[in-house]
Amino acid sequence: MELKTINGLIDIVGDDYVITNPTQKISYMYDQVEMAMRPEANENSIVVKPKNADQISKIMKYASENNIVVVVRGGGTGLCGACTPTRESIILSTERLNKIIEIDEDNMVAVLEAGVTLYDLLEELEKHESVGFPVHPGDEGAQMGGMAVTNAGGARAVKHGVMRKHIQGMEVVLPSGEIMELGGKLIKNNAGYNLMQLIIGSEGTLAVVTRIILKIYPKDKYSATIIAPFENFDDASRAVLEILKSGTTPLAVEYQDKHLFVDTAKMLGTQWQAEKGNADLMIIISEKTEAALYETCGMINEICEKNNSYETLFAGKKSEQDELLLIRSQHYELIKDIIGHSFDTAVAVADVPAYLKELKSLAKEYNTITNITAHIADGNIHSDIVLVDGKMPPYAEELKEKIFKACFKYNGTITGEHGIGKLRIDDLKLQKSSTELGLMRGIKKLFDPCNILNPGTVIEV
Amino acid sequence: MDNIGILILAEHKNGSIHKISYELLGKAKELAKELHEPISCLMVGPTGIDLKELNQRGAETVYYIKSNVFSNPEEYLYKKNIVEFIHERKPKIVLIGATNFGRSLAPRIAAALKTGLTADCTDLKIDEDGNLVQIRPAFSDNILAHIKTVTYPQIATIRYKEFSEAEKDSSIKTNIIEIKTYMDSCSKSEVLKMFSDEKDDITEAQIVVAAGRGIRKKEDLKMIQDLADKLGGVMGASRALVDAGMVSSAYQVGYSGNRVKPKVYIACGISGAPQHLAGMKESGTIIAINSDPSAPIFSIADYGYVGDIYEIVPQLIRDLSQEETWN
Amino acid sequence: MNILALVKEVPDMTKVNFDCERGVVDRSSAESEINPFDINALQTAVNIKNQYGAKVSVLTMGPPKAEKSIRDAYARGADEGILLTDRKFGGADTCATAMTLSAVIKYLGNFNLIVCGEKSVDGDTAQVGAEVAEFLDIPHAYYVDKIIEITNENITVEIEEICGSKQIRKMKLPALIGVTKNINHPRLPTVNRKLESLEIDVKTISLEDLSDYISEESTGFKGSPTKVSKIEIPRTIKRESLILRDDYNSFKEIIKNETKGARR
Repeated sequence: MELKTINGLIDIVGDDYVITNPTQKISYMYDQVEMAMRPEANENSIVVKPKNADQISKIMKYASENNIVVVVRGGGTGLCGACTPTRESIILSTERLNKIIEIDEDNMVAVLEAGVTLYDLLEELEKHESVGFPVHPGDEGAQMGGMAVTNAGGARAVKHGVMRKHIQGMEVVLPSGEIMELGGKLIKNNAGYNLMQLIIGSEGTLAVVTRIILKIYPKDKYSATIIAPFENFDDASRAVLEILKSGTTPLAVEYQDKHLFVDTAKMLGTQWQAEKGNADLMIIISEKTEAALYETCGMINEICEKNNSYETLFAGKKSEQDELLLIRSQHYELIKDIIGHSFDTAVAVADVPAYLKELKSLAKEYNTITNITAHIADGNIHSDIVLVDGKMPPYAEELKEKIFKACFKYNGTITGEHGIGKLRIDDLKLQKSSTELGLMRGIKKLFDPCNILNPGTVIEV
Repeated sequence: MDNIGILILAEHKNGSIHKISYELLGKAKELAKELHEPISCLMVGPTGIDLKELNQRGAETVYYIKSNVFSNPEEYLYKKNIVEFIHERKPKIVLIGATNFGRSLAPRIAAALKTGLTADCTDLKIDEDGNLVQIRPAFSDNILAHIKTVTYPQIATIRYKEFSEAEKDSSIKTNIIEIKTYMDSCSKSEVLKMFSDEKDDITEAQIVVAAGRGIRKKEDLKMIQDLADKLGGVMGASRALVDAGMVSSAYQVGYSGNRVKPKVYIACGISGAPQHLAGMKESGTIIAINSDPSAPIFSIADYGYVGDIYEIVPQLIRDLSQEETWN
Repeated sequence: MNILALVKEVPDMTKVNFDCERGVVDRSSAESEINPFDINALQTAVNIKNQYGAKVSVLTMGPPKAEKSIRDAYARGADEGILLTDRKFGGADTCATAMTLSAVIKYLGNFNLIVCGEKSVDGDTAQVGAEVAEFLDIPHAYYVDKIIEITNENITVEIEEICGSKQIRKMKLPALIGVTKNINHPRLPTVNRKLESLEIDVKTISLEDLSDYISEESTGFKGSPTKVSKIEIPRTIKRESLILRDDYNSFKEIIKNETKGARR
């Protein structure tokens, strides 16, 4: 990066908040995409850490006047390479925009700066008797701005949907440097096109989000996690469909290949307690009263037993539930070194069993395996292509195409929650018509005529 | 009430006096200034323990119930002897170290004497009536309770390393009285074997020196371990290093690793990701060294130093080694 | 063999509020649960039952609502639960509590082994177990991290640390053991057993039932030799960061001073 630019940025944010030292910069270059799939970062990029929207506005003005690329970075917990600067860029880290501005219990909204982490938010809400925020993508280091522009999902989408559903307002900085307010604490608001919803899910390509107004909800005070082991996946899957139809909506229903549960538990120094069965469901329920919790529990248990489950297990204590969730979330640590390519496809819930069977038989066709983790009650499935001798196997591209073909056969999508980022730009063309892609390109040009905001992400212009 | 004086139950470890006994003497001397009553020590233990230092550090009389049946600590037999002794001598206050053995033995003694016991005290005072005020944390260290005992003796166990050791004065004459055992065998309980198994436990450590992404390669962790050793602490690591395979997860501090609460936490080259902070932010004093002045770790640190750990840490190790007066 | 697990109901410590202005502990926001250490004790009893065959009873002293913990213990494998409840037991310190528990144990009779947890998360005293053992005049071992063998006459255990060593100890039954968190990994109850536990009868015992074994003067606040005279709630320290640059010597002094009291 030119010295002139560095000095220009120092003038805006101060000496301490422009990082040029290579060893310090490196931790701002990548997200959590597997090594084997990572787009390569341009190491001439530098990091700048503004304190507020005004400073961001000045940075954007400076960048557009001098035609310098800006890549916004939040918590770095993404899984599609969106925040990796593949061209020489100013990496704009929002970590200092970490103020919780207001928890408004009358309107049931939280007003948050974009750099507030999910951890910070949940910790703050703990102090309030009866409010909570339900979306949980897994890693609590995720920042609000990032969760908004990636339209984060996670396990609890079954009951609460994804991020899009919970954002009511935003303050953004356009590539030109102009600051704009969108939405507000309003519930009804039909004044024109909803640009805010367009920015949600835009992966940092349209504007820099600096503040969001988030809906908060009365807390479900009682929760429990049920482990339901089944002999085979078909039984487990039938139970899921029946549960969804029964009138009770679990917070989350998670499926994971048995060996992932067992080995992750072992890795964490504990033990997976469902010994029998080959297809275990982790069903998380939450209710307002204890009586409702046990009633739901009984109902789900009955459905599982009807579909031939083995003895189901009950975790009611917070520490017990936390441990199960940890086993569920840490499986990735177990396999991350062998994953070459990981998928985030989604199909309609009822198509999951048939689709999974195809995934398994495709793996068999190439004499390999695939590790399946699924948010099974919303149809979002994570599978993978594993490395062979530490290298991407030669058939990877071919297998990938076949997987997508299977997914499209069930009218599925190539990404349920992780997004397109820099990883799936070409894959998107397989799923979308040229008309739709053309409209997306047009929108990008309208927001960012000089193409300085995270170019090469979602769509090439 | 005819109970008088402070009795300290001395503890032995590997044939010598356990340092907790000197700490108890340190506190007892303070209490005696208010109370104006004598301090004595009782050692129940095997033969051959040199007890003169108990005198030199403030016990006017040292009683020694000496027998090799006490080589292996066992509460039932110890209790029988101690309780008989207390019945005879009638101390007003009995102080016991809150070591594992002390914590296990003290309630038996208190119950046998039908008197009150306050566990794990962090401070003691004498009130205007000459009675003991026992101050101890409860609710997982969230509150401090002041407790008084209405029966005698007033018995308390005291946390190890809470008080400083009593000063030693080698000119003091020894005054050791040997006492015959009151009971020297117990059919109810028998120690079959003692063996040692020592390992560092990061969750128990009082000082943790932890390393993060600032460490470039595995070999460089040695300087972190060296600094930890110099300070008498245990090494920790952030998740980045565990993920990179540089160190085992037993050392990991964080939300998904160990939660630690040492008196002092020194973070070297750790930027302070929320997942790490969740595991250590309850620490007593947090000290951070990082070359990035904007690293989040500084916002929760009591003391921070902006600098390169590759310069600071070796420098600290060198300086700490040189200053003999300090160690 | 008859095994008794002693459990205490405690507030969920993550939810208790501490009011430092007034020196008050507010438990109202917190749900109650079995003391986490006692779950290991209960699991120890259940494991022994599974290995050797035994009947596992669980005993708790507390207000009537503590029956919830008895139900939880049933879900986790206890065969029977007893709730010791009476207004007159209120305000008991460890001595009065142990005295009362030992009276019930005599009243119920016939236990070969009593198991308790390392300590409670609210009181932190770790005294009641050993005091019960003393009142019953039976041997005890604390910090047990392994059961090596049980016969009809004896129990052999490993003690995690005592005077700097591990210890293997053999005790004549009846005996009492206090177990560590490391002794086992508590199992989850089954959903069926959990739901069943909501329906069971919980046996309650009051002071009147124990009239042959203990007098009112030995229980509750009256029977307690220790009295809390004051509660202090230390303020959470707000961290005021002192960030140094280029002043190595001051930093070195800080490290030396701060670590002084904590060195091994």
